Amino acid sequence: MVEISSDVIRGYNDTMILCILMKGPSYGYEISKQIKLISEEKYVIKETTLYSAFTRMEKNEHIESFVADPDPDGNGKKRTYYRITEKGKEYYREKCEEWALTKDVIEKFIQH
Amino acid sequence: METIKNYLESMFASMPNTPEVRKAKAELLQMMEDKYNELISEGTSENAAVGTVISEFGNLDELAESLGLTKEVEVARGMETEMPRRFISLDEVKSYISNRNIKALFRALGILLCIISVSFVIILGPKGTEIFSGIGLMIISIALGVGFLVYSGFADHEWKFIGYESCSIDMNTAAYVKEKKRSFEPIRALCVSLGVVLCVVCWTPNILIPFRYQPLGAGIMFFVVGFGVFLIVYSNSIAKGFDRLLNVNEKSTISGQYAYGSSYNRPVKYKSKTAQTIVEIYWPTVTCIYLIISFLTFSWGSTWIIWVIAGVFHRVVTINCIADEN
Repeated sequence: MVEISSDVIRGYNDTMILCILMKGPSYGYEISKQIKLISEEKYVIKETTLYSAFTRMEKNEHIESFVADPDPDGNGKKRTYYRITEKGKEYYREKCEEWALTKDVIEKFIQH
Repeated sequence: METIKNYLESMFASMPNTPEVRKAKAELLQMMEDKYNELISEGTSENAAVGTVISEFGNLDELAESLGLTKEVEVARGMETEMPRRFISLDEVKSYISNRNIKALFRALGILLCIISVSFVIILGPKGTEIFSGIGLMIISIALGVGFLVYSGFADHEWKFIGYESCSIDMNTAAYVKEKKRSFEPIRALCVSLGVVLCVVCWTPNILIPFRYQPLGAGIMFFVVGFGVFLIVYSNSIAKGFDRLLNVNEKSTISGQYAYGSSYNRPVKYKSKTAQTIVEIYWPTVTCIYLIISFLTFSWGSTWIIWVIAGVFHRVVTINCIADEN
């Protein structure tokens, strides 16, 4: 079975995470679950990859973190939530355009 | 879940112990825990859930890069290959501890015999050259004592490497040692307080025993001191063994913090400044009270009871003054 090589997907982990955060703040496991779901289980993001992306994007001010309780009643264990910033949204749109271009180019070299 | 925690601990063991690394470890554990709980609630078997979580964890190189720790991790790896830390397994630790107990016993016995050797001469008198005379028994006692001390020096020969080679223990072993240490703590406290009390009251036989039997009183005094010192040396020597094991890991790495959580290595936290003062002046105050009352009443035979009361009271005071560890 063909699997996604981590080298290829590396540049787009941020795009996936930002896409999910566009819909609202979320936390580690929830984001990884969404990625798995949206990709129809074709891609499972590793925990270390996810956390590395969080730290990198936070440093670049694309996202910001805050602590909150996922349980609406407030009885649960606190999680670190991430929310997208304006700069992050802009970055996301750039990445989308970049991907459209990349896809266009690579597609020309793919023989069906 | 224990397996996952241990896995994460071992992955992080050689990482530098910095706030960023600790945060990363906590966040990763949270994600793994969430994933594990969800798998379990979906009906996955525990083994399968652990397997999935660990296989989807990834590797730390990537993390080190994003945390800006690439250099530190490489240095740690370099040291590891250049001078591998000797890993001490749980079985080895168990046999080290029982060996340490023997060493402690012989050491304490050796000191005891050397101290009481004097009392034979005092009680039996300095005359005579046969074996059971004062001098004869003193020499036998010293010879045995020194023999025990020498033996105790060699007793842990095969474990000498812990002192000068760099070693490491894993989290399970550290937890085992900590548990051992915790259960030994009350015994140690009892031995030390009893030892101190014995040393302090050592000369009461002099007062209790009528003057004409005086040499007997002085002789008993050395027995009492000897036994007090025995208790202190024995219990401290065992406790030192635990500390030694807990401190083998490299201090600057995550594994270095295994030693913490044990009361000796962590500075004691007081509830307030006043509480700290109370605890600090407790024993000096008791000593003053003891001496004042004893000199005023001259009933040395019964004032020693102050130490016993103070010992019990000390526990109450510390419980109320020292902040909870957790």
